[in-house]
Amino acid sequence: MFKNYLKTAWRSIVRNKAFSLINITGLSIGIAASMLLFIVVQYELSYDTFQPDYDRIHRVVTQDKFDKDITYNSGIPVAALEALRAEFPNIQFGALRSIYGSQVTVPSAGNETGNKFIQETGIFFLEPQLFNVFQYNWLAGGPTSLNDPNNVVLDEKTAGKYFGSWQQAMGKTITLDNAIPLKVNGILKNVPANSDLPLEVLISYKTLKQHGPSYNHNENWNSTSSNYNIFALLPPQAKTASINNALLRFSNKQYESRGRNSIKTHFLQPLGMVHFDRRFESFGDHVTSKTTLVTLSLIGLFIILMACVNFINLSTALSVNRSREVGIRKVLGSNRGQLFTQIMSETAVIVGISVIVALGIGYLSLPYIKHIASIQEPLSLFTPKILGMIAGIGIGVTLLAGLYPSFVMSKFNPINALKNKMVSASVRGVSLRRSLVIMQFTISQVLIIATAVAVSQMNYISKADLGFNKESVLVLSGNGDSTFRSKQTAFKQQLMQAPGVQSVSFTSDVPSSGNVWATNFAYNNQPDEKFQVTLKFADVDYIKTFGLQLLAGRNLTESDTTKEAILNETLLKKLGIKNANDVIGKTIRLGQGQSYPIVGVLKDFKTNSLREEIKPLMISTRRSFYSLTAIKLRTHQLAQTQAAVQKIWDRFYPEYAYTASYFDEDIAEFYQQEEQLSLLYKIFAGLAIFISCLGLYGLVSFMAVQKTKEVGIRKVLGASVSSLLQLFSKEFTVLIIISFFIAGPVAWYLMHSWLKNFVYRAPLSGWFFISAIVGSILIAWITVGYKAIRAALANPVKALRSE
Amino acid sequence: MIKIRDLEKIYRTEEVETVALNKISIDVKEGEFVAIMGPSGCGKSTLLNILGLLDDPDTGSFLFNNIEVANFNERKRAELRKHNIGFVFQSFNLIDELTVFENVELPLIYTGVKSVDRKKRVEEVLDKMQIMHRRNHYPQQLSGGQQQRVAVARAVVNNPKLILADEPTGNLDSSNGNEVMTLLTDLNEQGTTIIMVTHSEHDARYSHRIIRMLDGQTVLENIMV
Ligand SMILES: Nc1ncnc2c1ncn2[C@@H]1O[C@H](COP(=O)(O)OP(=O)(O)OP(=O)(O)O)[C@@H](O)[C@H]1O
Ligand SMILES: [Mg+2]
Repeated sequence: MFKNYLKTAWRSIVRNKAFSLINITGLSIGIAASMLLFIVVQYELSYDTFQPDYDRIHRVVTQDKFDKDITYNSGIPVAALEALRAEFPNIQFGALRSIYGSQVTVPSAGNETGNKFIQETGIFFLEPQLFNVFQYNWLAGGPTSLNDPNNVVLDEKTAGKYFGSWQQAMGKTITLDNAIPLKVNGILKNVPANSDLPLEVLISYKTLKQHGPSYNHNENWNSTSSNYNIFALLPPQAKTASINNALLRFSNKQYESRGRNSIKTHFLQPLGMVHFDRRFESFGDHVTSKTTLVTLSLIGLFIILMACVNFINLSTALSVNRSREVGIRKVLGSNRGQLFTQIMSETAVIVGISVIVALGIGYLSLPYIKHIASIQEPLSLFTPKILGMIAGIGIGVTLLAGLYPSFVMSKFNPINALKNKMVSASVRGVSLRRSLVIMQFTISQVLIIATAVAVSQMNYISKADLGFNKESVLVLSGNGDSTFRSKQTAFKQQLMQAPGVQSVSFTSDVPSSGNVWATNFAYNNQPDEKFQVTLKFADVDYIKTFGLQLLAGRNLTESDTTKEAILNETLLKKLGIKNANDVIGKTIRLGQGQSYPIVGVLKDFKTNSLREEIKPLMISTRRSFYSLTAIKLRTHQLAQTQAAVQKIWDRFYPEYAYTASYFDEDIAEFYQQEEQLSLLYKIFAGLAIFISCLGLYGLVSFMAVQKTKEVGIRKVLGASVSSLLQLFSKEFTVLIIISFFIAGPVAWYLMHSWLKNFVYRAPLSGWFFISAIVGSILIAWITVGYKAIRAALANPVKALRSE
Repeated sequence: MIKIRDLEKIYRTEEVETVALNKISIDVKEGEFVAIMGPSGCGKSTLLNILGLLDDPDTGSFLFNNIEVANFNERKRAELRKHNIGFVFQSFNLIDELTVFENVELPLIYTGVKSVDRKKRVEEVLDKMQIMHRRNHYPQQLSGGQQQRVAVARAVVNNPKLILADEPTGNLDSSNGNEVMTLLTDLNEQGTTIIMVTHSEHDARYSHRIIRMLDGQTVLENIMV
């Protein structure tokens, strides 16, 4: 019996080639698209789940409540560590500090200065106790390998990169930032890529204690850095809520005695949220909000739904043609159940073919998706989990697409079916088909509008006036140690002599960056303000190099220490000062330190990404903080100038690796996630439109066949081609307009919320909506037009004879 | 075998009520060959559909082998139908996607006959209808007469006690028509009851008895000799 079902299924697929092709194309694209999206979502959700104690691991984070706003920090004051251990003896704590862009020098036989590697990420000072919280696999050594100062543990791939193989790495000595010798004392198996703790180079925590100042490591209660995290393993069955209460009491006790101008509290963030809570940072390369993942899953679901809608529409339309077959089968003794099973098996065969095609598409496009979603892990389609998921999709789609047509067809009355009198059934089918077409076009239009908004926001960001010059500024990163600083002046002189160099500035930070370095301050000898000021340290050429604009006063005077201060407009605004000239000559005091005279006020520029407000800012000189060299290049002959710069660098700093990047490219990286999302939207909106047009094309082809006779008669009676075109397109146009009235508000709501992520945003223009509806109508007309014109131009005599 | 009394079938649409069968009463004995004749629209096909358990009457009684079937639900009718009744239609009604062999095999599949037995039985019937050489062809590849022979083969493959034929020669030329009539006569001689609707006096002469209908009622019965 089942073989018979498959046989007839296959034959009817072959017989209705055009429709099968439309169905298989739509379904396989839909399945492939959602499969890829689900793989991406699944991957994001899998972050750190390989940790055996995943559910019990938490990060102790900080919330700081100021007068008006609340800030969140994934870090915690270093001093809190021992206090936490004393207060919560049942909880295992482990701390680590990440450092960025450090240089590792590996001795090499042929090279006097050694092989230099810049570890942009993955390098940590780490307590051995952290291995009580997180479990890793060791190739050599173990947690105790990090007990003593000047010990380092490498992961397998970094050890290989440095020494050729991990076996050769053991026992060797490497140098951190040209200053700290480290003995390789253990090897960790590579940490999976889906982890927010990308452990590569692990330096014993005691080393950090000896070199604290070089790495901004203050063991006090005042400074909180997101680079310093404490993780906690709770005892089994511990109640997070009660620990959070205890942490609140702990925070109050600690900070009240120390006097405060904000309410700082600590609480537990579950490891399961570290990858998803964008209020906090992680050591991994990105934090993805759950909303994004939900959006992606919904898009995947919608695309599949649309492909199923095509299937349902075409099958019910075709069922009119198949009614005779159904009738015969019933007369010959088939019961409803058997017919139902037969039509379901046909659906299953089509879905089965589509799944196979989808696997092919998925296999070919996986590398691109991995790239777009920045997934490093070698992903495979053919893991049991993903294959299981695909099987699930297959079954789901079969049921979704097959149930209704099977139900309708198996219910046919055999006598009417044999007479091809399926009037009542097909009337019901038409209204269902209409609703489904409306649904399809609603989804497509929401996606079109969402894409348009996302693209326009991305354009807005890339064209926005940031208040500074970001073009052709080359930023070299080094580190601020004393040897580096001692040669800075000579280095700068040499650079200025290179023909393509316009200006050079040493600084702690570029104008706009993800860094946050803020402190309490007092203005004009008043008590401490209730908000913090962001600090950047730079020499006198900073303003020139980045094209900043002075509103009042003058530039800083050259100095190796902090002598004077320049403020930005936002700081003045927050202080309630209207006239910039009023602050010139007044003083500002940072923390509990010295007061400095204010000599200038800068016009506002964007201090962070456009997601955030401009921060109140103070700029001052202080050579010990200069780790970056910003070089403004003349725009012609960039490549030669860059080569010249590198040559000068290598002459001055042979022991330092040369790492340079263009400032505008660094800024673009702020929006990488948004760019990726907007690219994903574009791709999937395109697919959605394609699938709905495919369905429309199928329906119109069917209509054209059905209406051949009607069109023939009308033509004989004198109808014009254009009136016949109307006959075909009017209905769809109405349906698209109806769907617009659903799609418009939904899209408006969704994109309005999305834009809230940005403080600076492009307006939600009415044009997006107008273009969505005009666009979909045009696309539909083009789809309908071809078939309709062919039907309208056909010879009426032939059409009539075909009956 | 068949005993209907005061059977009524009324089609209701929004504006009109059509009385297709008007309190009709008919008896057909086992082994009979009955022809039904009458002008177009007098209710012949309606009657045949009810006799074939494809449709149910509005009122009246229908005894099939002494069982009252007038109120059977669809499932019960389908069950009774597939074991007892074979159909032959004017327009052949073969399934285009299936070969000759598969079309004939279909009723056996629905009655749950095992694959080996099916093959034997289908070949037997195709042989008898002299269409064996076309077993792997599709319906469109056959002439009208050949298609109708396949349809007859399909109708008898289950050894039904009753064959209902609605204008079986309507789409055939006279020589093909005669061939089909001979097949039906042979079947009848082997004991199958046959009820046939026809517009052709020539074909009607193959039967034992002609029932003439007008406006949903029997008006005359001729016994053939
Ligand atoms: N589904 C239906 N709905 C409404 N009226 C119907 C329906 N089927 C048949 N009729 C009407 O019932 C009457 C009998 O129809 P039937 O098909 O039985 O006639 P017939 O004797 O077989 O005619 P013909 O020789 O032309 O095949 C006709 O008047 C027809 O219009
Ligand atoms: Mg008829």
